[in-house]
Amino acid sequence: MRARVLLVEDTPTEAEIAKAHLAAFGHECRHAATVAEALRLAAEWPCDAVLIDLQLPDGTGFELMRALRAARHAAVLIVITVNASLDTAVEAMRGGAFDFIAKPYSRARLRVTLDNALETRRLRAELEEARAQLGRGSFFGFVGASPAMRAVYRTIESVAASKASVFITGESGTGKELAADAIHRASPRARGPFVALNCAAIPKDLLESEIFGHVRGAFTGATESRAGAAKQADGGTLFLDEIGEMPMEMQVKLLRFLQLGTFTPVGGTRTERVDVRIIAATNRDIRAEVEAGRFREDLFYRLYVVPLEMPPLRERGEDALLLARHFLELFSREEGKDFRDFDEAAAAAIAADPWPGNVRQLQNVIRNVVVLHEGPLVTRAMLPARLFQPPPREAQAREAPPPAPGQVEPLAVVEKKAILAALEHTGQDVPRAAALLDVNPSTIYRKLAAWKKAG
Amino acid sequence: MSSLDPHISRQLREDLAPAVLRSVVQTFERDLGRLAQEMLAAARAGDASGYQRAAHSIAGAASAVGAVALEREARLAMDPAQPEPPHILLPRLMREAQAAIAALKQMLG
Ligand SMILES: Nc1ncnc2c1ncn2[C@@H]1O[C@H](COP(=O)(O)OP(=O)(O)OP(=O)(O)O)[C@@H](O)[C@H]1O
Ligand SMILES: [Mg+2]
Repeated sequence: MRARVLLVEDTPTEAEIAKAHLAAFGHECRHAATVAEALRLAAEWPCDAVLIDLQLPDGTGFELMRALRAARHAAVLIVITVNASLDTAVEAMRGGAFDFIAKPYSRARLRVTLDNALETRRLRAELEEARAQLGRGSFFGFVGASPAMRAVYRTIESVAASKASVFITGESGTGKELAADAIHRASPRARGPFVALNCAAIPKDLLESEIFGHVRGAFTGATESRAGAAKQADGGTLFLDEIGEMPMEMQVKLLRFLQLGTFTPVGGTRTERVDVRIIAATNRDIRAEVEAGRFREDLFYRLYVVPLEMPPLRERGEDALLLARHFLELFSREEGKDFRDFDEAAAAAIAADPWPGNVRQLQNVIRNVVVLHEGPLVTRAMLPARLFQPPPREAQAREAPPPAPGQVEPLAVVEKKAILAALEHTGQDVPRAAALLDVNPSTIYRKLAAWKKAG
Repeated sequence: MSSLDPHISRQLREDLAPAVLRSVVQTFERDLGRLAQEMLAAARAGDASGYQRAAHSIAGAASAVGAVALEREARLAMDPAQPEPPHILLPRLMREAQAAIAALKQMLG
């Protein structure tokens, strides 16, 4: 990140060295040798960081910091001090400095301190932006201004800074993954990786290696050593989705990892240490799972440090319409359509529906409308007639019987059958069907549209 | 006792391009000339705070280039309790300044 750095230093030797470092980092630098000059420059040149020597000819660095803070200057302040005594450091921090550097300092030290400070400043700005958005009904990737969602935003904000494990519960499609992502992005780990692992989607016997990695030769097919999710998430956040599906043997291993902070890759002998924040999610009733003995209680308490409950869409009042409008605008743009709004009856239907599949269902419905119809208004008739009907939960996969030998069907027919089977299997959930077929959801929507046109 | 801290010398050579380092040493030499004059003048005028301020700047500059022996003298002069009067300390400080510059130039090769 290229930044603007104001250097306040009266001794030319030191200034010259600092300027050389800043230039090497690619930052833009201006130099002031006095408090007065620094204030003048800061007022006319919007800088991101100020590097401050404490002893200046016309005052102290503390006075400069006070003046900058009084002027509500947005730059992050870093103090450079000869005597890195604890007192000076404490006073500098109290005076509003983000950090301090003791002289003499290396280029690497300056870089780390400055990068940290600039990153924190960027985060702070982002959080402020997010906070400002609260009033407008959005927060990071979330749309929604209902009291229930505001409470969610507040929880996310307040837990973001710590490393505490967060346990997200909520019905399917309520935005659990989005919440995990928001926590990561609001946290000081935002620059680190966010690694999501769906415990339900991974075959039992591969889960350990997916999480902890394996060494070469650990099992048949392990031709190379591979880092697992825990290692990949080092310095960032590991999101364990559908944790309720984790097999017992794996729960033990995860618990040990959480207790010790270390793990051993499958087939390995050396333990590895990583620094990750854990976020877990499930749409199961996790307490019932614990009571039934399917989920370890000790692991539950390790993970359930900060609970975050995603409210179902039917409890979010006006949010359903807010979300519908948001998706309408988004998908119209994506599909090159000119939808503007919902007519009264359509809006009423959306507001009244219980949305058992929550935000994801709403998202699917709106995408469907946009792909299959033309704007500018969404009418009630464009919406599924039976919005109220929950999608079949465990629709049996009725696979098409294999064609008799010699009986080959045209590709287009095979394709149509495959898509319809996938849709049926997923309860008409297009994105999931698309994932099953390994195609883009829009491919399925386009096919549906084409078939509809063809009658 | 060497006048430069070998660790900091190495760091400077690693961090700065030779031309930049050469220029830093020239700046340091100019700084010392000016600041030593200021200390001398302040001592003559009995201006204790001016004397300490100039000593502080010398300490900062010396520390930045790893001139530890010079930095130590400058810090003694910065001490408001003044364990040694200027007429004892200043000549010693000047000698250390010369030694530091010589050592830095030698380092440049
Ligand atoms: N409040 C919201 N605003 C905007 N988009 C949302 C919101 N909540 C969810 N979404 C979107 O809806 C979709 C479903 O959300 P997500 O995958 O986070 O749900 P989930 O709770 O993890 O569901 P499941 O339990 O089925 O895994 C995603 O595309 C997500 O971006
Ligand atoms: Mg999910």
